[in-house]
Amino acid sequence: MGILGKIFTWWDGATIGTSLFSSMNGEHVGTDAQGNKYYRARKKKTVEGRERRWVIYDGANDASRVPAEWHGWLHGAFDDLPESNLPPAKIWEADYSPNATGTTGAYRPQGALERGGQRARATGDYESWAPDA
Amino acid sequence: MPKVTVDGQEIEVPAGATVLQACELAGKEVPRFCYHERLSIAGNCRMCLVEVKPGPPKPQASCALPAADGQEIRTDSEMVKKAREGVMEFLLINHPLDCPICDQGGECDLQDQSVAYGRGGSRYDENKRAVTEKYMGPLIKTAMTRCIHCTRCVRFSEEVAGVDEIGALYRGENMQITTYLERAAEHELSANVIDLCPVGALTSRPYAYEARPWELKKTLSIDVSDAVGANIRVDSRGREVLRVLPRINDDVNEEWISDKARFQVDGLTRRRLDKVWIRKDGKLARASWDEAFRAIAAVNAGASVAAVAGDLVDCETMFAAKKLLGALGSTLIESRQTGMSYPVDNLAAVNFNSTLAGIEEADAILIVGSHIRWEAPLVNVRLRKAAKRGAKIFLVGAEWETTFAAEFLGEDLTVLNNLPDYVNDTMKGAERPAVILGGAALANGALAPALALAEGWNLVREGWNGFNVLHMAAARMGALMLGFAQAGGIADLIAAKPKLLLALGADEVNFATFDGALKVYIGHHGDKGAAAADIVLPGSAYTEKPGTYVNTEGRVQYADKAVFAPGDAREDWTILRALADALGVTVGFDSFPQLRAAMVAEVPALGVEGLANYGALPAAVAGAKAEGRIAAYPIKDFYLTNPIARSSATMQECSSELLHGEDVLEAAE
Repeated sequence: MGILGKIFTWWDGATIGTSLFSSMNGEHVGTDAQGNKYYRARKKKTVEGRERRWVIYDGANDASRVPAEWHGWLHGAFDDLPESNLPPAKIWEADYSPNATGTTGAYRPQGALERGGQRARATGDYESWAPDA
Repeated sequence: MPKVTVDGQEIEVPAGATVLQACELAGKEVPRFCYHERLSIAGNCRMCLVEVKPGPPKPQASCALPAADGQEIRTDSEMVKKAREGVMEFLLINHPLDCPICDQGGECDLQDQSVAYGRGGSRYDENKRAVTEKYMGPLIKTAMTRCIHCTRCVRFSEEVAGVDEIGALYRGENMQITTYLERAAEHELSANVIDLCPVGALTSRPYAYEARPWELKKTLSIDVSDAVGANIRVDSRGREVLRVLPRINDDVNEEWISDKARFQVDGLTRRRLDKVWIRKDGKLARASWDEAFRAIAAVNAGASVAAVAGDLVDCETMFAAKKLLGALGSTLIESRQTGMSYPVDNLAAVNFNSTLAGIEEADAILIVGSHIRWEAPLVNVRLRKAAKRGAKIFLVGAEWETTFAAEFLGEDLTVLNNLPDYVNDTMKGAERPAVILGGAALANGALAPALALAEGWNLVREGWNGFNVLHMAAARMGALMLGFAQAGGIADLIAAKPKLLLALGADEVNFATFDGALKVYIGHHGDKGAAAADIVLPGSAYTEKPGTYVNTEGRVQYADKAVFAPGDAREDWTILRALADALGVTVGFDSFPQLRAAMVAEVPALGVEGLANYGALPAAVAGAKAEGRIAAYPIKDFYLTNPIARSSATMQECSSELLHGEDVLEAAE
């Protein structure tokens, strides 16, 4: 993303103002697998007595890109950082994936045209006649 | 007329009634499993226990106990309640608790009665009995562990169907119901045991795991698979007919329907005509309704138009076609597709005058050219009843396996001119003699000689008319009442060389004989008719339109519409109405009520439910001689007689497995 994009758009990562604010007032505490950076305010107890925490996305500003472990920290469910607080990921755990709605990876039910239109037989289906068939 | 007291209420019951019937007359419900009105009394389920005084001081099975004068019957005492709970507990000992996966769930006698009369819980900790799977053919699905040994199915096949197919092995708790050597049940009424079974031991195989009874829309209808016009209930969900069950009508089908009537409905979802087709360059191509109507109008047929009605069409469709042709100036209408040309100026001569219920009373019957088991299985049941009452039955025609005592007099029809003396004497001496003519007899011109015999034997007498014709097509009597018959049969239509031929679901016509005509097929299934047609207009099957049907005894019956026709298909009369506009004529009706009103105005008998009156039999033609042989009957395959049945996977399976003996490998379950 070029400098022009940074000036005129807001949907990818932080705007210039937010970046400035983050570097002046925030303490960078960690980065998740997708490159999203997590900050907390240097001044303690600012919002309704709780610590202020925020994320600067590496890419699209889509809240569903925050993985589950950072989601808990971001919303004040626990104070320790996920790396030190949570047990290590099991080998059978799938990688976190953000909401795919609106993308090509979105879920399509069986029978949807995007999935080939093939579905199981349902009540009311019939087989029509065609000549020489 | 014994007088009994039921729960303090004194009533008079007919002589010979049982205690159970007395209780029912008094309006008391008595639970039962083995007792059935139309079967013999077995008395083995013990569910109908009541307290009867005078008698031993214990509950008694009311179904097997004759009601006697002065009896004091109690159905509401503590003893009866405890007895019912006890019997129910014993029945449930060996009954699996698999209601959630049982197809009988929701319409199960055991389920209902255990809720109403059983104990709240179970005290049983032992192992339950299990029974090995039995095979009963492509129609009946078995789960014999659920069987409670009521033996209704055994009694049905023995007494009503007349074949020893289903029986029991071993005794007591180890009793098992099975078909002989686990062969498929082959009788054409075999699937009625599914309705009779009070539990889920015998269920419908094609309908297995399809639906629950409470999801289904029930529509009252009339069966079209044969000319008996059995009263049926069509169960549908959404746009699909899932099953057909019999309705009780003692005058027509009692409580039974044939397997074809019950199971041909899966054919309603296969080979359906759901779009318009027009033949272009020798091949049928898809087209729109407008194009089709323009193509029909372009023939400029004028009055040179003919209509042939098929075997399954309703009276309204035929009447609409008749009106259309009348408006165009043509009277070329015919319903006997295969070329029969018996005279129809007096319909009494081609009617089942004894009535279906009445034929049971006959004491001497001569059947000419009818394979009754296949042409009308429900009439066969009546004949069996007559035979059990002592009727002598003689048959002329190729031999087939009867389910009653009968004597075949040979294939040669000339035997009618010179019947053996003992046959003549039996028929003459009988109180209620009857003659039944089948399709093969009509095709061989045996109507006139049979009328002569009828006159000779005095078949029509006070309170009795013994002259019967058994048709095979559901549409036949209605068609004849509407005048769908030419003097020379379909040959008259061929001779007239029409420019336009309307085939209303007519599949048995030899279309090659209508070479010069534009052949328009209006029907619901892609069968011979659609394949031979120049223009195919998609119509509705019998479940998809309201209609009037007249059965072989001249009984006018109405059917309702259960589901909508698929795709572009329309109710047949609307197609004919639109065609009238395209051809620039008016037919005088714009809605179904108007159409029916116009039909009733022309043929008043069609407006009254019940038997139509055709008047007296015509006088016999002197010197009518029978000739020819009946070496074969028109129905070659009971399960594949109409386009719906031919499309049905179930009927095809029945045909190949039950009639042609091929071992059909059961699909892995």
